[in-house]
Amino acid sequence: MCTEKCPKKVVDTYNEGLRKRKAIYVEYEQAVPLKYAIDPTQCIKMIKDKCGNCEKVCPTGAIVYDQKEKTTKLNVGSVVLSPGFKPFDPSIFDTYQYSKFKNVITSTEMERILSASGPTGGHLVRPSDNEEPKKIAWFQCIGSREINRCDNSHCSSVCCMYATKEAVMAKEHNGPELDTAIFYMDMRTPGKDFEAYYEDAKENKGVRYVKSRVHTIDPITGTDDLEVRYANENGEIVKEQFDMIVLSVGLEIPPETVEFAGKLGVELTDNNFAKTSVFNPVKTSRDGIFVCGSFQGPKDIPESVIDASAAATAAGEILTESRNTNVKIAEVITEINVDNERPRIGVFVCSCGTNIAGVVDVKAVAEYCETLPYVEFVTNNMFSCSQDTQEKIAETIREKNLNRVVVAACTPKTHEGLFKETLLAAGLNKYLFEMANIRNHNSWVHKETPELATEKAKDTIRMSIAKVALFQPLKEAELQVNQTALVLGGGLSGMTTAKSLATQGYETHIIEKSDKLGGQAHNLLKTVQGEDVREKVAELSSAIDSDDKITVHLNSEITDVEGFVGNFETTISGDNKIEHGIAVMATGASPYKPEEYCYGQDDRIITALDLDRKFMDNDAALKDMTSAAFIQCVGSREKDRPYCSRVCCTHSVDNAIELKKLKPEMNVYIIYRDIRTYGERELLYKEARELGVIFIRYDRDNKPSVEVKDGEVIVNVTDHVLGRPLEIRVDLLTLATAIIPNRDEKIAQFFKLPVNDSGFYVERHAKLGPSEFATDGVFLCGLAHYPKPIDESITHAQAATSRAVTLLARESIHTNGEIAVTSPQNCSSCGICVSVCPYSAPSFTTAKGPNLGRAEINPVLCKGCGLCVASCRSGAINHNGFDTGQIYAQLVNVKEAV
Amino acid sequence: MADFEPKIVSFLCNWCSYGAADLAGVGRAQYPANVRVVRIPCTGRMSPKFFLAALREGADAVWVSG
Repeated sequence: MCTEKCPKKVVDTYNEGLRKRKAIYVEYEQAVPLKYAIDPTQCIKMIKDKCGNCEKVCPTGAIVYDQKEKTTKLNVGSVVLSPGFKPFDPSIFDTYQYSKFKNVITSTEMERILSASGPTGGHLVRPSDNEEPKKIAWFQCIGSREINRCDNSHCSSVCCMYATKEAVMAKEHNGPELDTAIFYMDMRTPGKDFEAYYEDAKENKGVRYVKSRVHTIDPITGTDDLEVRYANENGEIVKEQFDMIVLSVGLEIPPETVEFAGKLGVELTDNNFAKTSVFNPVKTSRDGIFVCGSFQGPKDIPESVIDASAAATAAGEILTESRNTNVKIAEVITEINVDNERPRIGVFVCSCGTNIAGVVDVKAVAEYCETLPYVEFVTNNMFSCSQDTQEKIAETIREKNLNRVVVAACTPKTHEGLFKETLLAAGLNKYLFEMANIRNHNSWVHKETPELATEKAKDTIRMSIAKVALFQPLKEAELQVNQTALVLGGGLSGMTTAKSLATQGYETHIIEKSDKLGGQAHNLLKTVQGEDVREKVAELSSAIDSDDKITVHLNSEITDVEGFVGNFETTISGDNKIEHGIAVMATGASPYKPEEYCYGQDDRIITALDLDRKFMDNDAALKDMTSAAFIQCVGSREKDRPYCSRVCCTHSVDNAIELKKLKPEMNVYIIYRDIRTYGERELLYKEARELGVIFIRYDRDNKPSVEVKDGEVIVNVTDHVLGRPLEIRVDLLTLATAIIPNRDEKIAQFFKLPVNDSGFYVERHAKLGPSEFATDGVFLCGLAHYPKPIDESITHAQAATSRAVTLLARESIHTNGEIAVTSPQNCSSCGICVSVCPYSAPSFTTAKGPNLGRAEINPVLCKGCGLCVASCRSGAINHNGFDTGQIYAQLVNVKEAV
Repeated sequence: MADFEPKIVSFLCNWCSYGAADLAGVGRAQYPANVRVVRIPCTGRMSPKFFLAALREGADAVWVSG
């Protein structure tokens, strides 16, 4: 109401200024908390002491004009910085005419235009005339990899992928005939599953990729269209018309954050990101202050989520001693036994101020509810969720001896938990409750038809009453979580996880199949920041050896796994049994052994790791060389291995720099497809070019060839600038080979973990759950998830630790009541439930007795999805909270409606 | 048929479509009041029997979203 009555229209910054909002507003639909706020810079009352409309109309008197910013002092042991980034402002570029032409927009504006909740309701139109565009161009690297007109030498890491996504979405919105062209320098899609998405956009969705930097945009007189001029790959100047141009703006750190960091004494890099080290990737220069997200470096969602968990680990490690202090324990009220009682239902119809009552006739609805079967009590509340109403509801439950409750209000997604607490406070089992959604699904969306909305509200509540009458009290089992952890794999990721778990007080076992800890890290020379990897591995190994909470099992493999979250029992080689509560998969990956480019035919043709070895051994022959070449994407980004190995571009560029430093007159060539030095790794690429490393591009259909002839190694490649074949004689040819996961079907089966086509583990959620599995109690980190450099492996290991500790620290877990339960006497042992369950909850009983061989469901593993219930051909599975009879009751009660 | 108003029973997955319908409300998107919603824990819970029951009870259309 306040927003409706507010007369002041303000530019909506959340929607990139593409529409207006009011001075009192909710920033966006998903805002947490979903509460209205006043913009003090715009409110007429606050500026001129006039208006005051919102205060007059607010039924709860929630408007306070003189609220002031308050300073509160908190006593904390760790601080985590996650201030985020600011999209680059392209108005400083006259080339792109962002300020001048309406149809030149930024990628963040495009995001809002494509959004269903955006200014155009998800309808893709251009700003100048609201017409659907026929041709759209994206320009990459606006404000990234650019030091002439701005100071951002870094690559922003995310723009290639978001431009590709926007182009694909634009085509989905406006049809395949929409022409989308992305003008780029290098296509950088090194994230998990990103390369396949890019290939699909290019090959199947018809997104055009043009490798060129546009230098001029001109208006076309008489239209709002734009003409761009650029040099194509053959060096010819091409003119093309577009209806709309999207500038893929980069990520930068705003001056406020720079100033804030200065006050905190946190050091920054040249590009204003927080300075961290490869082996402590979320630790800032100041002790006790940690960093995550794009302030640590430009990154995408999964890496930000991983960072966040890692920062939690780093912050938590130093607080281990204070864990479980300063906590309050909630009072538990004894549950009333309502078994075999006739349902006595209480219905609470909420007005939600005027949110519901403004449309739905709540009085009529309440009166109607009184006529329904088993309804004992009905009332109408102004705000059912307010503290005093909550207390009143609990009091009514006790007074009227109610044994079932329906609240007709907003959505169970946000308020079910709150009302269940109210039931608990009244001594009622919290599962004897149902919500009827008469706000989000009704009054808010049927404003124009109040009578129909009132009818719908009656139907919805009637359906809920019919359902709740059939509810039974449900039990939640309590389960102890074994406080021991098992880490599978003793590489850098596994070691980091184990060390952190032990630091936080948990007994940890590392299972390593080889005879030493360290894994692939033994083969790496140095980090991108020049740190000695072997030295760090040795340090970590000795720290693990001297930690009495860690037991290392070398030359060991898993032979069997029993149990589930909180209570696993794993058998390893030598029949050793380990009981543990959680497991971390850090099984790593191995380098691809190339079959191409004459590998194995000559000692001078080696892999990237072989070259690291030569540096480590101070191979004198390196200094004598006059020419060296690197071939990129050997085994990666191929038809049968369609992923980018992420680390190889940086690795080769770094080693090329080493060679140049060793002998500046050496000719060093990098033969590549796209140079993917994302983030601040871009600075290495810049340094390599400055040192004279020659970069020659090839594409997958026109690969270089290698021959060993008359004692010489010769690389043949077509030069992308001259368009002519080159023959390069080299003293050393380094193949940047792919990273192949250590695929182990047995382990995947033991812990019931999914593996993708390339052999990498599939995490719980690609964006939001990158460090854990859908299987509870099992976590993931390192190369087993996807190729990544050392810093990202360490972050991932810390993230997996954080996810594991959130479970271990609880010490016991409660099962959910709303789950599937079998009736063994009806089970025909067909096994459908066992095979369809994504969580491996059903199994055949092995206990002797009448139910031997019949299905039972582990309440700890069941997530209550109901797949098995719907699939059971014998009707032997019931679903607490969503049982077939209960859903039927709802459907039967649709009847009066229809 | 001009005045025909279909009666629709929708089965919405708790984790996606039900939440999306909530967001449609937060965004005040307006749509006709012909739909009656049954919240289900996952579309995996959907059984052919529910379609038939909804049709038997007089629905003109059944919409499953998840």
